[in-house]
Amino acid sequence: MISGIFRTRFWITLSVFFALVGPGIITSNVDNDAGGITTYSLAGADYGLTLLWILVPITFALIIIQEMCARMGVVTGKGLSDLIRERFGAKITFYLMIILFLTNLGNTIAEFAGVAASMEIFGVSKYISVPIAAFLVWLLVVKWNYKSVEKVFLVACLFYLSYIVSGIMGEPDWHQIGTSFVNPSVQFDPGYLAMAVGLVGTTIAPWMQFYLQSSVVDKGIRTSEYRYTRIDVIVGSFTVNVVAFFIIMLCAVTLFQNGIRIETAKDAALALEPLAGKYSSLLFAFGLLNASLFAASILPLSTAYTICEAFGWESSVNHKFVEAPQFYGLYSFMIFLGAGIILLPQFPLIWIMYYSQVLNGLLLPVILIFMLLLINDRRLMGRYTNGWAMNIISWLTVSAQVILSLAMVISLIWEA
Amino acid sequence: MALQYSDPQVFLFLSEILGKRVVNRQNKKIGKVTDLAVGLVEPYPIVTEVLLSPGASSAQYCVPWSKVLEVEKTLRLDDFSLEECRKPESREGEIFLKDTLLDKQVVDTNGAKLRRVNDLQFLKAHNLLHLVHVDVGFRGLMRRAGLLKPLDAFLQASMDYNLTDQFIAWKFIQPLSSPDLLKLKVAQDRLSQMHPADLADIIEDLDIHQRAAVFQSLDVETAAETLEETDPRIQVSIIKDLKPEQASDIIEEMSLNEAADLLADLPRHQAEGILSEMEQDIAEDVKELLALPEEKAGGLMTTAFLSYPPTLTVGEAIEAIHREAEDMDFAYYIYVVDENEHLLGMMSLRELLVSPLDGKLEDMMDTRIVSVTIEEDRKEIANLFAKYGIMAIPVVDDDDRMMGVIIFRNILEIIAPHLGK
Repeated sequence: MISGIFRTRFWITLSVFFALVGPGIITSNVDNDAGGITTYSLAGADYGLTLLWILVPITFALIIIQEMCARMGVVTGKGLSDLIRERFGAKITFYLMIILFLTNLGNTIAEFAGVAASMEIFGVSKYISVPIAAFLVWLLVVKWNYKSVEKVFLVACLFYLSYIVSGIMGEPDWHQIGTSFVNPSVQFDPGYLAMAVGLVGTTIAPWMQFYLQSSVVDKGIRTSEYRYTRIDVIVGSFTVNVVAFFIIMLCAVTLFQNGIRIETAKDAALALEPLAGKYSSLLFAFGLLNASLFAASILPLSTAYTICEAFGWESSVNHKFVEAPQFYGLYSFMIFLGAGIILLPQFPLIWIMYYSQVLNGLLLPVILIFMLLLINDRRLMGRYTNGWAMNIISWLTVSAQVILSLAMVISLIWEA
Repeated sequence: MALQYSDPQVFLFLSEILGKRVVNRQNKKIGKVTDLAVGLVEPYPIVTEVLLSPGASSAQYCVPWSKVLEVEKTLRLDDFSLEECRKPESREGEIFLKDTLLDKQVVDTNGAKLRRVNDLQFLKAHNLLHLVHVDVGFRGLMRRAGLLKPLDAFLQASMDYNLTDQFIAWKFIQPLSSPDLLKLKVAQDRLSQMHPADLADIIEDLDIHQRAAVFQSLDVETAAETLEETDPRIQVSIIKDLKPEQASDIIEEMSLNEAADLLADLPRHQAEGILSEMEQDIAEDVKELLALPEEKAGGLMTTAFLSYPPTLTVGEAIEAIHREAEDMDFAYYIYVVDENEHLLGMMSLRELLVSPLDGKLEDMMDTRIVSVTIEEDRKEIANLFAKYGIMAIPVVDDDDRMMGVIIFRNILEIIAPHLGK
């Protein structure tokens, strides 16, 4: 009898969770986009297992920051750009949105470069793969409704498993990996530190905060259901780092141990073939394709949504084209420009990525500090503001983030 | 009522006044403007106080507008002591503009849209500032970003194009940021001027708190009409925030099948709570509908329709309609049924009106009836509407007894989403 009640309650809880799941898991997974996979591959290939430990603090920071975003979405029912506009005014919001647009455009270009690179491994020319990908991504939102789009996104999250399978196929030495976590070895050469900062930078990006909060609002989650969203966020933050772990590890036990140097994620996939087998290599390439397509669908969508919300323009995938011209205009512009640049004979990807990362590094501190000010605003959050312990933890996390972002900007400018 | 003044009238923007230097009679700086308060008078609110901050500390002071001597490059004040000033808290019938309006969402009741306030425009006359327009356009945004002059110059030079302002007159503006503003009589009048379908669109775009506040400011009838037009998911979320007795008052006003659909979407205990608060006979009708499968004819039909015995005369029927149509949300056809509710025939109102008053219904009625059973599939019903071009289809049981009516509007809700974007 008791077990019967327990069981039904368990199933009710589980079904509520699955009805509300999505925002956290999707946001985190998009984070492992083409740029992320490239960074992880390079980290593993250049520094072996020595950088693995950093995934632990990254997971922690990701949870702290995303949890605050999700909480703000649930309690205020408003998106982050909406809150920033109402609290900090039009001027600062306007310039923030311009920076956000440019950095997200840079990232979108990188995603289409990822599509091009991964499809080339499968022997498809970028002049075929990129236009088709751009058109599919565009169609997804313009012709469908968000509910089905979200389901497609959740399925895309599953495909990240290919990295885990691919990693296990690399036949790693688990004992050695365990040791690298227990005894983290910190090196102090500039390259190692720059890579560490890069890992953090690719995992915690400004656009995610906007996307997460908007999709939590869109789901209409209530404060009484918030605990499920928190689980969603935590699960998402863990899975993203599990995937990162397998990529770094695979590249470490294969490429690093054989002294192979790579420049891109495509190099990594190709170099894996003789070391870990054909299927591991193909799975790696497939993972890159999935990640790039996935992020290429979400980045323009999230950007258009965020900007329209800040400026009070119609912004919903449920509207028609003529009803929300700014929304669809921004969305289409980002996709077609992002894909178009890749098709230029000698497109300056390195140059674009460079400026996009600098802008990212400048934007993130502002967004994070605004978030902390907003979440401690009693008029907005009522009794859901941060407690003192959470404030200490979050300010420390954000301070560390701010220092790392600025360090990255300085090092990038230094290198140039 | 137009504003009539003899001295030159000047338009000013809030963005030009905020941050202005405040000086005393001797032109000595005493602070800068941080906000303006207006009294909510019709038709145009008048600025009553200026909020200023002396700079060094975060303290703010409210100075009555009557102390303002001129608004030019600086805001010059007559002599006053800071001690006289009251603390900056808004009083009844008064709002602080930057705090409650600027950058916030408002409803444009004329265009039936949710807009974000980029700037506010005042008319200055006799040294009084009247709030006349709300700027929701791109020029307003650029003015706030400090880019208006470069933008205008650029557009003029490159394309010979002048960007136009998008202003909305104050009388069409409904602020949302504070629940108190929605309780005003003016607010209720403004919101109820909108069509319920437009109101429903706006409510769908609001955040949860604004949604509840706007909804509760509507009268029961408008609330019910609006709720009918709202997305089912949002209907549920609104009803969940109401007390059962409030919810039942609104649901009673909805058409029967809409009410049944809504109750079916609610958690069981809540639906039961609301049903027990509802008037007995309406609750019974709704319960009957609730028992029917939602996907089939039974779930689409309403049980409120006009039916009369065959021996009634046309004149008597018209009189009866006069009395009964009040409670119907649709009255286009009358149905002729015998004492056991068997469907015999039907007439449209037009046919009824052109028939001789002393004719019996059984002689006048159309017996070629298109009807469906409770189990009929939605798609088939849609096909029947298309084929026969009728406004409503009666639903009968296996014994040909009249159960209810499916109204064209209800099938439209199912078909419309498939018509493409």
